[in-house]
Amino acid sequence: MTAIRVRELRKQYRVSEREAGLWSSVKSLVRRKTRTVSAVDGISFDIAPGEIVGFLGPNGAGKTTTLKMLSGLLHPSSGEIEVLGQVPWKRHADFLGRMSLVMGQRNQLVWDIPAVETFELNRAIYRIPMAQYRETLDELVDLLDLKAVMGAPVRNLSLGERMKCELTAALLHRPKVVFLDEPTIGLDVTMQRRLRDFISQYRRVHGATVLLTSHYMADVEALCRRVIVIHRGRLLFDGDLGALVGRFAAHKLISIHLATPCAGLAQYGELVSDEEGHVTLRVPKAETPRVTARLLAELPITDLTVEDPPIDEVISRVFTEGAV
Amino acid sequence: MRILRLLAIHLRLALSGALAYRADFLIHLFESLLEFGTGLGGLALVFSHTQTLGGWSAPEVVALTGVFFIVGGAVRFAVQPAMESLIESVRDGTLDFTLVKPVDSQVLVGLKRFEIWKLVDVLMGLAVLAVALWKLGAAVGLGDALRFAVALAAGGAIVYSFWLMLATLSFWFVRVENILVIFQSLYEAGRWPVNLYPGWLRFLLTFLVPVAFATTVPAEALSGRIGWEKILLSLGVAAGMLVLSRLFWKIGSRHYSGASA
Amino acid sequence: MNGLLGVYLQQWKISLAETFQYRAAMAIWLIGHVLEPLLYLVVWSAVAGANGGRVGGMGRGDFAAYFIALLLVNHVTYTWIMWEMEHRIRHGALSFALLKPLHPVHADIAANLASKLITFPVILLAAGALALLFKPAFHPSSWSVLAFLPSLLLAFLLRFALEWVLALAAFWTTRIGAVNQAYFVTALFFSGQIAPLALLPSPMAFLSKILPFRWTAGFPVDLLLGRLDPHEALHGFLAQGAWILGILLVARVLWRAALRRYSAVGS
Repeated sequence: MTAIRVRELRKQYRVSEREAGLWSSVKSLVRRKTRTVSAVDGISFDIAPGEIVGFLGPNGAGKTTTLKMLSGLLHPSSGEIEVLGQVPWKRHADFLGRMSLVMGQRNQLVWDIPAVETFELNRAIYRIPMAQYRETLDELVDLLDLKAVMGAPVRNLSLGERMKCELTAALLHRPKVVFLDEPTIGLDVTMQRRLRDFISQYRRVHGATVLLTSHYMADVEALCRRVIVIHRGRLLFDGDLGALVGRFAAHKLISIHLATPCAGLAQYGELVSDEEGHVTLRVPKAETPRVTARLLAELPITDLTVEDPPIDEVISRVFTEGAV
Repeated sequence: MRILRLLAIHLRLALSGALAYRADFLIHLFESLLEFGTGLGGLALVFSHTQTLGGWSAPEVVALTGVFFIVGGAVRFAVQPAMESLIESVRDGTLDFTLVKPVDSQVLVGLKRFEIWKLVDVLMGLAVLAVALWKLGAAVGLGDALRFAVALAAGGAIVYSFWLMLATLSFWFVRVENILVIFQSLYEAGRWPVNLYPGWLRFLLTFLVPVAFATTVPAEALSGRIGWEKILLSLGVAAGMLVLSRLFWKIGSRHYSGASA
Repeated sequence: MNGLLGVYLQQWKISLAETFQYRAAMAIWLIGHVLEPLLYLVVWSAVAGANGGRVGGMGRGDFAAYFIALLLVNHVTYTWIMWEMEHRIRHGALSFALLKPLHPVHADIAANLASKLITFPVILLAAGALALLFKPAFHPSSWSVLAFLPSLLLAFLLRFALEWVLALAAFWTTRIGAVNQAYFVTALFFSGQIAPLALLPSPMAFLSKILPFRWTAGFPVDLLLGRLDPHEALHGFLAQGAWILGILLVARVLWRAALRRYSAVGS
């Protein structure tokens, strides 16, 4: 049983190429030169009900395109998608009524009136029974501390408050599948943490399947054990977050405590920090055993630990170098 | 002199910007042709049922239509874009950059933005005017032409001042775009000779929203139905409006407090 | 259907609140609505005045009645969906509408009706003021006043359907302004905005008979003013109904095509 099933998913766009000059723009009126760009280029994965998965990739990797195909806004060029046993682009009311897409940079709330009016509208649209609506709303209001902001016109809300209301509007009908596209973008750290806790709790309570994209690795680390990484429309990695680091980190960090200060540490590896006898070195992964042995043999060491680099660093390395 | 040089620079910038969107030219030409077709078609319909309209012959009303499009096109080409940009910059605080420049800020604001393709309206208005003149033929004397030119210039100054005063309101109020719509709506009344309208509307179009000075008066001058005294009145109103709008601008910009709104 | 009613009521409430927020802007927009028929009223009165008081069988009072009635009819039937749709597509708001398990047209109808609930009294006042100023010759028959209401409703539905279909052009082009303007110019001449349709010269009069526009404005106005006989009225109702059905069929096909297009390209 899977909640989301994706096979060999592709999305290609034709983009017209424009050349400079008057003649070529006249020519382009008659015949346009086009070129095909693959935004998503053959990805496959399965997500089980109740699972929460981080969906990572640099800008333009095809994350949003994939989310839009999963939520039925875009028609795939080829491949298969099934969400909750339905084909999204057919846009059956039954499917639409059981999922939600939240985009951090866009809002569905009506700008000039209180958010609670949009909630009411969604209640009517999704035909949420009154008792369930009250219950869900109370629960969300409580979790997100919305009492004070719900009645104010949306334009008067801060970015964080607005995002909380967006999430509420998107979750009132208790969707079984939730797609979150950058839900914490632009928020301060406290608010990010708050939203994270909330998402995690919603998933736990309602057994929802969540697919989340975020630029903030903290979101992903806190919420997702499993991550799917795509780059230039292709699947780069699908598995445990820890395994991602193990696989893509090219370096390890060796930190040592020295009994007496020593010189010439740079010969062992790249010096990351050196504070009162506590030294951190960055060493190529393959070299780690050899360097560790040398350090232990040659220096007055009281303590030594070998660590993976921070996940941010690994991810940004994956993205910048497209490393595989 | 420096103002002319600034004008040339801004126009060149606007032109190169417009050339990047050449397809807009065709679209605008199409829209403009529709606009003219509507205007002249309406005239044709009206004059298929009558010889004169409020004492105006068909070629005289065609000349009025030409003036209507020339002034309207000039407003859409230079005045409206500059004033809209002024309102935006008051709201987002970027007017700061204009105010700190060592050039009169009212002038600089006026040069801010041009919609080059809207000149198509002006050119087509000129063409319509030329056709009307040809139809009017010998009836237009040298004196008429001179009075027409003066009346048109005065009308332009009046419309500019009026727009500037409306836009200056943005120093006090946030949502001023809507007020600009008032002029655009009422300008439509300039298609027809204002003497058709009942007294209250004529008064409104002459003194409150000065559409009459920009359209009817120049067209009247062309058909030789007014003398220098009305031209002098038009000039007087123009001078008064220019001074008033200047004063208004001065007070308004003193009121400006950066992007507080 | 009970669910749909709930959607309408809530959408109505929201639109009322929004319209009320922008009441100043609305008031200003209304100037344009009142001014256009006023200008043609004045022009045609002048034409009548210059030709011994009557043109095409209509005197000053008849023109006044015609254009004041037109003001009211126009206000009931007008929509802004052609700009709204383009704006919605460009700013991605359409995506949210498509994610909902309900056709977006319902929200459009509800919003349109709600905003008019606020503006119609203002237009009614303006019409009253114009009636005092221009002394319309208004002597309708009782049956035609009764028949006017359904014809007005059908005119609203027809215009709404027509403009909603045209608004779908925004799925294919961003140059929606040119499309809109072409439509408005055509409608201006052939719906009876610029002059009562009886005054159109023969080739245009013929076109006005085969195009849908007269059924959105000229027909209900003429009906209200008692200028039609029962036979013509019946013909009008049938034409309105047929056009609405035809346009709804086109709308169905085009909406599917538009969605296919949208889901192929995205926003």
